[in-house]
Amino acid sequence: MKFIRKIINWARIKSPWILHFNSGACNACDIEIVAALTPLYDVERFGVQLKGTPRHADVLVCSGPVTKQIQDRLKRIYDQMPEPKFVVAVGACACGGGVFKGCYNVRGGIDEVIPVSAYIPGCPAGPKAIIDGVVKLLASLEETEKPSVPGAKKQDKTEDDAGTAKQADPGDAP
Amino acid sequence: MHNSHEHEHEFKIPLGPQHPALKEPESFSIALKGEKILGVDIRLGYNHRGIEKACEERTFLQDVYLLERICGICSHSHSTAYVQAVEEIAGLAVPPRALYIRTLIGELERVHSHFLWLGVAGHEIGFDTLLMYTWRDREIVMDLLAQLTGNRVNYGINTIGGVRRDITPEQGKDILAGVATLEERTKYYIQIATEETTIVKRLSGVGIISKEDALRLGAVGPTARASGVDRDIRREDPYAAYAELDFDVITDDHCDVYGRTVVRLKELMESFKIIRQIVAKIPDGPIAVRAPRKIPAGEAFSRYEAPRGEDVHYVESNGGEKPERVKVRAPTLANVQTVKHMLKDRFLADMPIVVAAIDPCFSCTDRMVGVRHLDGGKKETMAWESLRSFSLGWHRARGFDVAIAEKKLHNLIKTQKSPA
Amino acid sequence: MSYEEDIRQDTIRQFDFLKDSFKVIRPRRLSAEVARDRFSEVFDFLVHREKFNTLCTITGTDEGDDLGFIYHLAREGGITLNLKTRAPKADPVIRTITAVFPGAEIYEREIVDLFGARVEGLRKGSRYPLTDDWPADEHPLRKDWKSEENK
Repeated sequence: MKFIRKIINWARIKSPWILHFNSGACNACDIEIVAALTPLYDVERFGVQLKGTPRHADVLVCSGPVTKQIQDRLKRIYDQMPEPKFVVAVGACACGGGVFKGCYNVRGGIDEVIPVSAYIPGCPAGPKAIIDGVVKLLASLEETEKPSVPGAKKQDKTEDDAGTAKQADPGDAP
Repeated sequence: MHNSHEHEHEFKIPLGPQHPALKEPESFSIALKGEKILGVDIRLGYNHRGIEKACEERTFLQDVYLLERICGICSHSHSTAYVQAVEEIAGLAVPPRALYIRTLIGELERVHSHFLWLGVAGHEIGFDTLLMYTWRDREIVMDLLAQLTGNRVNYGINTIGGVRRDITPEQGKDILAGVATLEERTKYYIQIATEETTIVKRLSGVGIISKEDALRLGAVGPTARASGVDRDIRREDPYAAYAELDFDVITDDHCDVYGRTVVRLKELMESFKIIRQIVAKIPDGPIAVRAPRKIPAGEAFSRYEAPRGEDVHYVESNGGEKPERVKVRAPTLANVQTVKHMLKDRFLADMPIVVAAIDPCFSCTDRMVGVRHLDGGKKETMAWESLRSFSLGWHRARGFDVAIAEKKLHNLIKTQKSPA
Repeated sequence: MSYEEDIRQDTIRQFDFLKDSFKVIRPRRLSAEVARDRFSEVFDFLVHREKFNTLCTITGTDEGDDLGFIYHLAREGGITLNLKTRAPKADPVIRTITAVFPGAEIYEREIVDLFGARVEGLRKGSRYPLTDDWPADEHPLRKDWKSEENK
């Protein structure tokens, strides 16, 4: 419980801003991402806010198996985010293509195009799993100063956290 | 930050300089003369995944779970439309109990989808309280669906020959309790939508399409029924258990966004009616018959009334384990072609709610809108967020105050007896 | 006689050559096959005289030497009719039906992209659903086309 308190306090101070992007998904994960913000699940109590532009975003929350039409914009949005930046792949498709892996018009997981900090599995990933993943990401930010995108320049910190992508518990997400 | 009245002709470019080398088509291209929209071009395909091809490379059964994921909001619609076609080709006699369960999940899906839509529509006109309340209510349905099928979305309830899970009398009780609460809430939303003058005015006269044009352009579902087109696949081409159930097809003659709102709200009431009948009348018996792995050669054309309208699946078998051809036409593909017509000679600020009102099965949030000013030749690009902000400011400047409706909705919900 | 039988009788009275291919599959499901050069007249008759005032979609198929086109028509009473025609791959040309059904445009574009059909009379416009830089001679739904992963 103390750990959760720590996260909540951290988030309230840091208040990470989230940009939500759909890379060709069926919309199930996107609806669950938005559901995470509405009264019942309410990730805003962790200090997280949904924003509209990459230029102010800390975290890119991304669904979908990356269709060929959308891959350039995904890359462009990522490039426009200021450092330090983090990417969360939400749902089986974003993690590795999901049921659409091998389909002719999809690239596969988000990490085919941009580096990913955290993977939240599920088809779709439920709001509880999304919150769990976001909280775990925030926890990893607390432990390492910055940045946590694999491959990016980082300060000398704990070895075990260097560039490791965190995985959320499938937990409540069936 | 965003446009107030005096800045309404200045469009912000929120994503920085355009990179000509990066080919990424605008989803909406608008030709604007002064304030009026002269032409609209819609470019789709950004969520084209290659599903029909993939269907030919997987077994008939695997395709049930692939097709379910065409759209995460109407997944049961696609799953059912498909299995119906395969079952027809194979000549399978699906047990009545399975048909009732399919219908139950289908109506629960309609309920979740219409509540979702209410929230989205509210958001597009700045009525975020409606979004919060309707999505909170929607959780009741999501819980029921998770309880019945094991998942909030992508239920996996269908198999070829029937369904995979049965329902218990206990679950029946929970369903009735959930429906009772939802029905009460729906009545409040109907009140707000039809009696609160600010909302009625905001939605009326916007996105007009006549009955003749709705038919001619191929509109389906609530979009068509709000223009007086009296068509509902559940009634005229009955499938699952609908032939044995009693319900009204809701039509409206307003032909605008207001009409589309009223149709969906009243359809919710019909769905509650249908669900109660299912719980009361569901016959006993098995929930599936065995299906062969190889489906005999043949073809079938299946239609389903999804929350957004008619969903059609055409399936052809060559006698093997994998389909020869699977063709899907989701309802949004039919309805999206009416949007150009609805926006002609209208204001750019009408666009968000008009597009939302066809209940599109694509996420608008990242779609780029290209605006070409015919006077002056300037061309700009807006993200959907910016278009919405512009629209909210534009309507605010013309006297639309959502605060009145928000207050009214708060009060209505506060005075209700049953808790959230 | 059922509506479906009525429609069948009306149609084969008008077009004797449809006698064998026009079938009542089951209640509310009709099917017919017509050669490309007789397609327009049969289509017009079905739409205007037999009141098939709705086009659900158009399905493209790969029939080996030919491309197949199935026009899924519907009318009041939930009656649907799958009207099939073919064109050789060497000359995969059909005429647009957008004058009658404006909504057919997107279904025709889809067949152009995915099967390599050519639709005469289709106005200029964006392709659907493939990207602009998709190779011109690659049509994913043809049977002999395989994606990189499946080659």
